[in-house]
Amino acid sequence: MSKVFITGMGAISSIGLNVQENLAALRSGKSGINKARHFQSKYTDSLCFAEIDLSDVQLKDRLGKPQSKDLTRTTLIALSAFNEAIADAQLSQDELTSYTTAFISSSTIGGMCYTDQLYTDANMFDKPSDFVRSYEGSDHTRRIAQEFELKGLTGTINTACSSSANAVMLGVKLIKSGRAQRVIVGGADCLAKYTVNGFHSLMILSENPCKPFDNNRDGLTLGEAAAYLVLEGEISAKDKKKYAEVSGYGNSNDAFHPTATSEQATGPLAAMNNALKMAALTPEQIDYINAHGTGTPNNDRAETYAFHEMFQKVPPFNSTKSYTGHTLAASGALELVFSTLSMLHSELYQSLNWSQPIDGFSIKPIDRFHQGFEIEHLLSNSFGFGGNCTTLLLSKCI
Amino acid sequence: MYITDLFAISPQYTFNLEFEKGNWKDNNEKYYSAIEPSYATFIPTQQLRRMGKAVKMGIGAALPLLNRNKQCDGIIIGTANGGMEDCILFLNQIQQYAEGLLTPTNFVQSTPNALAGQLAIATKNTGYNMTHVNGSLSFENAILDAFLFFDEQTENSSLLVGAVEEISTYNYNIDLLAGRFKQEIMPNNELLNSTTDGSVCGEGAAMFVVSNSEENSLAQIIDVSHITTTKFEDLEELLAQFLSKNSCDPTDIDLLILGRNGDARHEKWYDHFARKFESSACLGFKQLCGEYRTASAFACYLAAQILSTRWPFPTSIRKAIPQKVRYILIYNHFDGERHGLILLKSPR
Repeated sequence: MSKVFITGMGAISSIGLNVQENLAALRSGKSGINKARHFQSKYTDSLCFAEIDLSDVQLKDRLGKPQSKDLTRTTLIALSAFNEAIADAQLSQDELTSYTTAFISSSTIGGMCYTDQLYTDANMFDKPSDFVRSYEGSDHTRRIAQEFELKGLTGTINTACSSSANAVMLGVKLIKSGRAQRVIVGGADCLAKYTVNGFHSLMILSENPCKPFDNNRDGLTLGEAAAYLVLEGEISAKDKKKYAEVSGYGNSNDAFHPTATSEQATGPLAAMNNALKMAALTPEQIDYINAHGTGTPNNDRAETYAFHEMFQKVPPFNSTKSYTGHTLAASGALELVFSTLSMLHSELYQSLNWSQPIDGFSIKPIDRFHQGFEIEHLLSNSFGFGGNCTTLLLSKCI
Repeated sequence: MYITDLFAISPQYTFNLEFEKGNWKDNNEKYYSAIEPSYATFIPTQQLRRMGKAVKMGIGAALPLLNRNKQCDGIIIGTANGGMEDCILFLNQIQQYAEGLLTPTNFVQSTPNALAGQLAIATKNTGYNMTHVNGSLSFENAILDAFLFFDEQTENSSLLVGAVEEISTYNYNIDLLAGRFKQEIMPNNELLNSTTDGSVCGEGAAMFVVSNSEENSLAQIIDVSHITTTKFEDLEELLAQFLSKNSCDPTDIDLLILGRNGDARHEKWYDHFARKFESSACLGFKQLCGEYRTASAFACYLAAQILSTRWPFPTSIRKAIPQKVRYILIYNHFDGERHGLILLKSPR
């Protein structure tokens, strides 16, 4: 079975409009959490968000699509990161349009990000809006496939906050099975009234920037992002630069509660263990973990418990959600980009907004920027509502 | 992979298998609504009250299968829209109460992965769990995912795989505004001969237990593929690759099941496609279940029933279905943009 390598990356988030800008912010410990400037909601006064600092008009201009009327913000940010990823991997036109190039994306809000238009169309209060054919969860996937004339398999996953981690996993499987030679994987989610009100009704949004793994954490900060990675099998990646190998993954359902993780962390532990088992590694061989670390009381306690159960000595870990907020479906792919950067540059980024360990535990996240830290293997965790838990394992290319 | 058990809730009497005995329901309504069983016998009332229709139909079709097949190693669901009714109910609250204090029930129920998650909780299934929302290719991707799962198994294993879509006032309105449904009432018996634009909205849940072991097989799913394109040449190329990969010749296909939906704008895709299979019998299915984005799951249900029981399915569009059906090919498209192929074979 073919090994699967990361050969290209693209990202847009509140800490940067491309991978290099994201990297600079991570190195300097600069968070993207702030008051929203473009997103409009009753909650923009009381809550902070991790917003991409471009309006829809600016995004369209940047993409050279100033005239487009029916592209949602989800599609615009997805296009931005997709463009960067395929350019970074230097995919040729022939490679892109080959039947053996697949595209697996993910989103939770999908095409339903403009709440006001959706409200009018769904209730038939007026003539159809410009977005009446854009509401599908997979609208951005279809549009990108058409724009780039992709002929290979496409996919869109929605397993809540683990969506794009699952997209990566599915991409790796497609290559291993021989159904694809290369796959562009990732996800996109933008700020939307629908999501903000949903999370607010569950009372898990913090008024302050989220404090992952801190004893006084009181909820998450919502963010927006898109991130895509180009995965290629051995033949396709032969003479190309390879950032890292995706050497394992684990998927499990916690089967406990629709919106909470079990105290015994059944799903998280199974996801991490399955990933290790696939790569035939032991916990001691893991050098770093990019944690799910949302900053909610429930997640961070369960994840900390899982680390204690799994590791004799818990490896360095951080939550980069302290920079980007929780970008939902995009978070798994975005954090895999960050993890890849850590491995590539042998550095660890500080987990922000942390001051004291969670009661009953002693571990603390990475508290400063480290350089010269060799990472052979790392884990990236993504756990979602509905009990959906996924862990990805990256290994250094030998 | 092999289908070893199946259950459908659809606009036909599939839930009690009356449909399979020839008791077909005529539909003369604005849309073709699912005929639902009484869920109260197996879903606790308190939970039932919270569930939207998609989750209800999904659980109603999946739970009997999971109860009969306790060894399922995972759950894979395809749904383009999930709980659309709950979604817009929540949205209406946001607008009407100006983002005030809202109750989370509709929000939680509206997420497309609510069904796979609730099935996992109900059956304590901590195995593989996935939800595909790739529009009209969501069911095809659920099947594809199952193939990829079995590729990695060294022992006998099985999965619950299926799809669900609901009719809600809201998704009906949106697709009506988008020009996807007919303005006039169209009796289902006349749907496939319709010459006007648009189709008729349907809904349903079709669930399957699939296994990598041939034991108790009702039908074999040989392969699945799909493409996003508006050019027939691209589909033709995919079809050629697909048949050749599976060592199949067009003449091997005994029965074609086509997603004809009475939309005059898009029938040409099916006409072109059928021309590649001159010797095959041909069947439509959307006169039975209506148009919705995971209707191909209903087609797969029909295919499995035909292959396993050879029950006398009367209306062939082109020529009589042969006594012995070995290969069935399902072709379905949506908006002439997304095209799915599923190839099935009779059990040995």
